Amino acid sequence: MSQTVNVKLNVNGAAAEIELEPRETLLDVVRERLGLTGAHAGCEQGSCGACTVLVDGELTRSCLIFAVQCEDKAITTIEHFGSPGALHPMMEAFRRHHGLQCGFCTPAMVLTAIAFLEESPHPTESEVRSALAGNLCRCTGYAGIVDAVLDVAGVAE
Amino acid sequence: MIGERTERREDARLTSGRGRYLADHDVPGLAHVAILRSTSAHAVIRGIDVSGATALPGVIAVVTQADLDRAGARPMTHRLPLLGVLPLEWGLLARDRARFVGEPIAAVVAATRSIAEDAMELIVIDEEQLPAVVDPFVALAPGAPLLYSEWGTNEFFRMTSLPPVLGDVLATAPYVKQFRLTDHRIAALPLEGHGVQAAPDPATGTLHVYASNQQPHQLRTVIAETCGLDEQSVRVVAPDMGGGFGNKQHFTREECLTAMLALITGRPVRWIQDRTEGLISSIHSREQVHDVTVGYDDSGKVLAYRVDVTANVGNPILYFSGIGPAIVTVGALEGGYDFGVVGFDLRCVATNTCPIGAYRGFGQPQAHFSSERTLDAIAVDLGLDPIDVRRRNLLPDGPRPWITGGGARIDVGPLGPHLDALVTEFGYGRWRDLQSEARADGRLVGIGVSALVQGTAPTQYGVAGRFGSYESAAVAVLPDGRVTVAVGTKSQGQGHETTLAQVAADVFGVGVDRVTVTDGDTAQLPYGMGTWGSRTAVMAGGAVLRAATQLREKMDRIAAGMQTASAEPPTFSEIAEEAWWQTHRLPADEEPGLQQTVVYTPGNTMPVPDEHGHMNFDETFAAHMTAVAVEVDPETGDVRVLDAVLVSDCGVVINPMVVEGQHQGGFAQGLGAVLFEEVRYDDDGQPLTSTLVDYTIPEAPDVPRLRVVQRETPSAVAGGFRGVGEASIIATPAVIAGAVADALAPLGVEITSTRLHAHYLRRAIRAAGYTPDASAFASR
Ligand code: FES
Ligand code: FES
Repeated sequence: MSQTVNVKLNVNGAAAEIELEPRETLLDVVRERLGLTGAHAGCEQGSCGACTVLVDGELTRSCLIFAVQCEDKAITTIEHFGSPGALHPMMEAFRRHHGLQCGFCTPAMVLTAIAFLEESPHPTESEVRSALAGNLCRCTGYAGIVDAVLDVAGVAE
Repeated sequence: MIGERTERREDARLTSGRGRYLADHDVPGLAHVAILRSTSAHAVIRGIDVSGATALPGVIAVVTQADLDRAGARPMTHRLPLLGVLPLEWGLLARDRARFVGEPIAAVVAATRSIAEDAMELIVIDEEQLPAVVDPFVALAPGAPLLYSEWGTNEFFRMTSLPPVLGDVLATAPYVKQFRLTDHRIAALPLEGHGVQAAPDPATGTLHVYASNQQPHQLRTVIAETCGLDEQSVRVVAPDMGGGFGNKQHFTREECLTAMLALITGRPVRWIQDRTEGLISSIHSREQVHDVTVGYDDSGKVLAYRVDVTANVGNPILYFSGIGPAIVTVGALEGGYDFGVVGFDLRCVATNTCPIGAYRGFGQPQAHFSSERTLDAIAVDLGLDPIDVRRRNLLPDGPRPWITGGGARIDVGPLGPHLDALVTEFGYGRWRDLQSEARADGRLVGIGVSALVQGTAPTQYGVAGRFGSYESAAVAVLPDGRVTVAVGTKSQGQGHETTLAQVAADVFGVGVDRVTVTDGDTAQLPYGMGTWGSRTAVMAGGAVLRAATQLREKMDRIAAGMQTASAEPPTFSEIAEEAWWQTHRLPADEEPGLQQTVVYTPGNTMPVPDEHGHMNFDETFAAHMTAVAVEVDPETGDVRVLDAVLVSDCGVVINPMVVEGQHQGGFAQGLGAVLFEEVRYDDDGQPLTSTLVDYTIPEAPDVPRLRVVQRETPSAVAGGFRGVGEASIIATPAVIAGAVADALAPLGVEITSTRLHAHYLRRAIRAAGYTPDASAFASR
């Protein structure tokens, strides 16, 4: 085993101190150490966006950042925003508009959409599409996803 | 209820990050697998030195094929009940020869994935490079390097059907055209890659397997065979799946290998395919070349149609067999048309590339691409409208089933009215006007149309495997009036927890929220057939409908004999309680309880020739008509879709929202296939597309909305359902190609390939003599 270090993170509002190898990515740590499996490994190469979490409020590809780089930072994952019994309005909108099929891209897509609307509350359809361009979905063809985001923004399709 | 836009029951967990995919099943003591793969396209493996890897702390086992042999692993084979396939057996790892880049050579089991990968790098392979062959025509030429020298050829399989009259009709047809059409290689690319986790239970001697696989029961069969176990000793569970699209339909070496590694190490182990493994060594699809000869008359009616298909099947070590899609191609050449006399000569060619296998559409996109390109070519040749040429060739509106020359029993509704609906809904006349205006302005606008009749709910028997056509469902009404449904299919995102609940709820007259559907678990049902081939609504829907109806009838009988305090009839749950608990009060001859297992087949498939030589591979057929308008930018070669309409007849629709979603998703994949995606190799067999940066799939700004118009012609199978999942991915490449060809016609560019990516079109436009306007380009 290589040498380990201790890293202090704040995850979904709770302090966490984790002993880990410096080469462990933030994605490895939230999934395997913290059991927050809503972030998914779609490529581990920074291309698909399925691993997206918030680091100090910024959308971040957790496969591209080492956990040791997140010392004292606030990590927010999809689990923070809702649960099956208490869905976030964006999650409900995805359900209403059939914005998901397999759901593998979905937590990251929802998280990206929530963060995007905080920045741009009244987007056009093409702004929504650009904002989601870094999150690949192989199933839906995106129409339902775009509709969901526009619906939450209160913008008519 | 059937026909309603019911919101999906799976979405609460999936949107909130609580889905449980393959990699979300940690158990204590779980070890991780990394697979060392060949970096050579063709090489003799003289030796494998694993000593360095074995010595690395944290490594549990390093395994080669020799170790698997010692542990009793059995080879995999096709077991295809089809004459003429050359014999082929393969180990779970390469034994002494690697035949494509990415072929698995050794496996490491370690405490963590990183250690397993570290150890992998310490394995030393002594190999001797051999010349590789990538192109199927080169592979067929004399003197080509042979993948399997014992065959004496790279032609793995050949199937020919050339009716004697074909040549005569072609010789006498007023017009004859010959051309070559090319379908390029792509990958299905589910966003979640393949994965498998296996854990032995020493107490019972059983093996518990999680696999991201579309056909869990068949995977159980194949794992049991390769690991030397009884079928009842293996349980396969397919958990939430991040897409499948056929790519997870096969039973792979890695799945069986991981099962063997669990047995060898005696501990739970997991292998998760990484993206590069997925792109280079999983399963590729579609690559075929069609040499078309068509004879037709003045009216555009096709009199004879011959397609010689050359299918690159890669290194064909894939079970079920990767020749399946090509066999479907030659069976689907006519689609929903009557082309008079039809013939084909199919050659499936082995090359030093990744195995070719299933991708949503399964051979039909290539057949459809050729039929639509052919009809468009005839329209251009005769100066006819492509809609009219299709009308002349579509199957007549009766009789049904329409029995084709080969015996397919086509049961779609009248096709003419669907085409009329397409013309109206798309605004075909208006688009032609807009096109004229655009052309007058020097803009390249084109219109494409496609008329697709698709076989759905097929049998695999003989085409791809040895598995027949049926599905199982177990339905129960519990004493509290809740309904459980278990099926042998497996949703990969299609929403079966909702749609199959709708079917049961409809029969019982209860809310969908009272029905719970489970799928993909071999412990729930003795056998099932999984989800692929646009089959689940037809097959599992039919099975659920049957089982629920039988229970409903039983409940009615029980209710008739029940006394209630008031005059009101007993409630649903009162009947359920009566059936399970007050058994002394049940009518004579009525068994206690409310549970019913049904193994259902519509019984329409006939995969071996009957007394007339007829074969039919599909339980029922669906009809889909598509039209698109595109604009091509002559400077960049970019294709922009201006409008797209699909008229969909998949029989009785269970959930229109889900059907629209299938169409929109298939449209995106079809668009990606022709505009963005291509698996490429260099001449030495080195893959050039190994990440999502090289293999690009459509993003949100790239995919316009497909307008879907639903029309319902109920089929004669249970529920009146027809399959729907593959329609738009079959239609889209053909219809986009038609539109691009129409757009580029003024430049004299011909479209004979599915490669419509900007760089290919740009090159073709330049080659046709078009010179870019530098000043216009600079002002962009
Ligand atoms: S897994 Fe991080 S971007 Fe794909
Ligand atoms: S829903 Fe499957 S990848 Fe987006």
